Amino acid sequence: MKDLKHMIYFEKLLEDAHNELVVKAQEEGGLAIGYTCFHMPELLLNLDKCFSLRLRAPKTTSLEISTYYMSNYVCEFCRAILERSIEGGYNFLDGIAAVDACAQMNRCVENISIQKLIDKDKFFMSHIDVPYKVDDNGIQHYTNQVRLRVLDEMSKLGVDTSDEAIKKALDIHNEVCAIITEIGDFRKEKEVRVTGHEFHILNLITYTCPKALIVDMLRETLEEIKARTPDDKKWRARVVLVGSEIDDPALTEMIEDTGALIVADRFCFGSFPGRQQMHLVEGEDVLTCICRQYLEQSQCPRYMSEDKIQQRYDMVDGYAKEYNADGIIYEQIKFCDYWGYERAMASHVMQNEFGYQVLSIDRPYISKSSSGQLRTRVQAFIESIEIKKINNSKGAKRNGK
Amino acid sequence: MENNDTAKQAKQNEKRAQAKAKMKAQEEKLKGLGDLYNGKMYMKHREWRGFKDTAYDFFRWLITMKDLMVFVARAPRRITKAMFNYRWLCSYLSSPAFIDRHSMGLRGSALRVLHLQYNAMIKNTTKLMATTFKADKRFGKNKLSEKVVLFDEMMPMHIMAGFPNLIGIPAQVAAVFQCSVMDQNSMIPYLDAIENYGLPADVCPLPACEAAVAIMDEYPKMGKCYISSSMPCDGSVMASSYQNRYYNIPTFPLVFPVRYMDESAEDYAVEEIKKAIAFIEENTGEKFDWDAFFTCMGRYNEETKLEMNKWEINKTDCPQVTGATLAMYRMYSFLISASRDPLFLKVSKKVDKIITKANQSGEKCSKEQRHRAVLWSPPAHYYEHYSLWAENCWGINVLVDMESLVATKMFSTTDKEQALKDVAYTYERMTMRRHTNGGYVNVLDELWRVCKEFNADMVLMLEGVSCKTMAGLKGLFDEQARERGIHLVWVEHDLMDPRTVSRKSMRESLNRYMTTVLREEPVDPTLVDFDDELVW
Repeated sequence: MKDLKHMIYFEKLLEDAHNELVVKAQEEGGLAIGYTCFHMPELLLNLDKCFSLRLRAPKTTSLEISTYYMSNYVCEFCRAILERSIEGGYNFLDGIAAVDACAQMNRCVENISIQKLIDKDKFFMSHIDVPYKVDDNGIQHYTNQVRLRVLDEMSKLGVDTSDEAIKKALDIHNEVCAIITEIGDFRKEKEVRVTGHEFHILNLITYTCPKALIVDMLRETLEEIKARTPDDKKWRARVVLVGSEIDDPALTEMIEDTGALIVADRFCFGSFPGRQQMHLVEGEDVLTCICRQYLEQSQCPRYMSEDKIQQRYDMVDGYAKEYNADGIIYEQIKFCDYWGYERAMASHVMQNEFGYQVLSIDRPYISKSSSGQLRTRVQAFIESIEIKKINNSKGAKRNGK
Repeated sequence: MENNDTAKQAKQNEKRAQAKAKMKAQEEKLKGLGDLYNGKMYMKHREWRGFKDTAYDFFRWLITMKDLMVFVARAPRRITKAMFNYRWLCSYLSSPAFIDRHSMGLRGSALRVLHLQYNAMIKNTTKLMATTFKADKRFGKNKLSEKVVLFDEMMPMHIMAGFPNLIGIPAQVAAVFQCSVMDQNSMIPYLDAIENYGLPADVCPLPACEAAVAIMDEYPKMGKCYISSSMPCDGSVMASSYQNRYYNIPTFPLVFPVRYMDESAEDYAVEEIKKAIAFIEENTGEKFDWDAFFTCMGRYNEETKLEMNKWEINKTDCPQVTGATLAMYRMYSFLISASRDPLFLKVSKKVDKIITKANQSGEKCSKEQRHRAVLWSPPAHYYEHYSLWAENCWGINVLVDMESLVATKMFSTTDKEQALKDVAYTYERMTMRRHTNGGYVNVLDELWRVCKEFNADMVLMLEGVSCKTMAGLKGLFDEQARERGIHLVWVEHDLMDPRTVSRKSMRESLNRYMTTVLREEPVDPTLVDFDDELVW
């Protein structure tokens, strides 16, 4: 397939959290607000002159200092964020809007706070409490938390947090989501017009760059993809990738190198959830409405109620069907408790109750550090899918006879 | 004749001398507690504590045996069947040895306090287990099961005091929590099973074992409904999905704000309690009885006052209740019984009398008192008596620990709305959660506050290798301890898996610190190194 015009530029932007678009936005008076989890409503960090940045630590190598502070049994993503903070990699941030949704990330941002690693003038750090289930009581609590711990902090910096400002931010948020959704829908096609790896990069850009500065390029990219001639390449299998943070495009690239096309991305930093448009409901408080949708869309394993547990399985099943997947890969960054439990249980449920072929893997934050092992696991999985296909077709032939 | 008599007497004298020499040699050989270990599952013999204390100790041993027999007599057929169905149940045969381990080296008042408290725990556990097996549908249909409301083991059950006609059972206590304390190897088959199922080996073994018992189908099956819980950490949140699936009965996740110090979160917590009560009412047809609840909470208030007095006594130069007893007893009276069993108040009153008297008379609780220590982080279940070993071996008195320091707020016994707020406040600050949730101030700053209050010069930091909440602050603990001049000793363990870090390795961590950093000689050299790998 023909290369996408902006792809190399996008890849370059992903090489640094403090990329050139962030620099540009700050030069124009923008305030960069870092966050680490879907549970911090991204949309609300883009009010007025603020813009959101989902924190990544690209090109991480040694985690020595963060390991001293957090021990080597803690999730590498959290340690990488702390390490990058210690190195001064987030000194440009005007604030971090954190959530107490997972203990390890919470400790990471607490370390940043206690050690005063970001000493920018007027820098703020806030934590919100996230409920473990989605009901009226939980939505109200979550909305209060967002109002008190995030919007009020932003107001102190002179940011307009009114309903009008939220509606304005919603417009551009929805535009980006609509573009990403339209691009993502091409993955449903039998003939591939956009690969999972390319989509991953496009989606990562939307999380890590000021939206106003990328929306035109995304629009252009969408038009390019529409006109793109599908590749002749024969993909060996189509898979749904499910699990914890993947902000490293090298991982999706490695998976696709083995011949497995990633057709749906249900992982943190993926588009499910995160890139679905949000809608205001007449009569409902604007902030409550946005917060409710974030809680309802979330598919984080930390939700304990039966409806949310079932929702997680049903959603993955839905993606697999809608995107014609042959199998599901459940992945988890090592030491992530939530996804460790979910991966173990879901890989059995999806296999035994939904009938999918499932690969279950844990992996390091930077996939290069164990790419050989991961590649072997994925290759074996693809072979098993192929064998099953062959056996099924033989069985069908026998039955036909 | 005379010659014969003289020869006989000489022979007898010689025999006596030989016997004396043999006894002396034996006494010399058995000078320390470490000599009681022989590398086998059991000790060489019971500890000699002087006539009076040995007799008392033996008397209490007989009482434990009696309690176990009473337990079996409560439902002999069902308990026999349970023995063949539930692998974990066999570990309870070692109950007397469990108490022996926790009473080593104790004398006088300390020994009496230990036995009184542990006996209350044994009585409560055996009652709970007998009820469990009677209600177990696996061994036949029964009406009792319809009265059971299952609770996650980490969820305090105070609200069940308002349902006197129902039975609240902490679902995993017998199979996991208590069992893992009784026998260090009891959880190994379950850990293997869950890892084989696909769960990573790096997660906390407590929720991992809770999930494992479910996938191995070894929980007694019963109950009208289930209250699951997000307490105290991420692992417990996730293990609840395994329990829900296993029990397959109406389930209510009773969840509380993680950032509980935030006053704006109070309403949310109170609302959750109300919903949980409504859920139980709806599923059982019972109505919440405020009178019964207030009576029980009155008892809770009394228990709490007595517990706080224990801490006050431990703050003096003459502490009385040290080591694992503090946390274990608190865990039972607060979390499991939740003041519903009047026995705990009775025992607490007796204990209070003994320790107040002992404190006033200046009675020492251990042979030597060299260091005043705080034990922080969750202790190893397979080595709960670690602090007692530290006391006997190095003269380190553990005056208080993280697990004991749960909420101490008194409950309103007249105002319904206030009482619910008190329940929410207390639940948010339950065992472990009080410190691991709500931000670093509750565990990091709190430690230094506790050290100051108890005038402690040492912290035994029991580092559960898979406890990520604590691990996330490791460097800061180190740095801040250095700034304050407090001896902070890291002791690694893996909560329920002695294969990862053995008891011996845990001892070595402290031994190394005491000999290299503090350059001290042990109080009992025989306890420095001994083999207890096979001991229950």
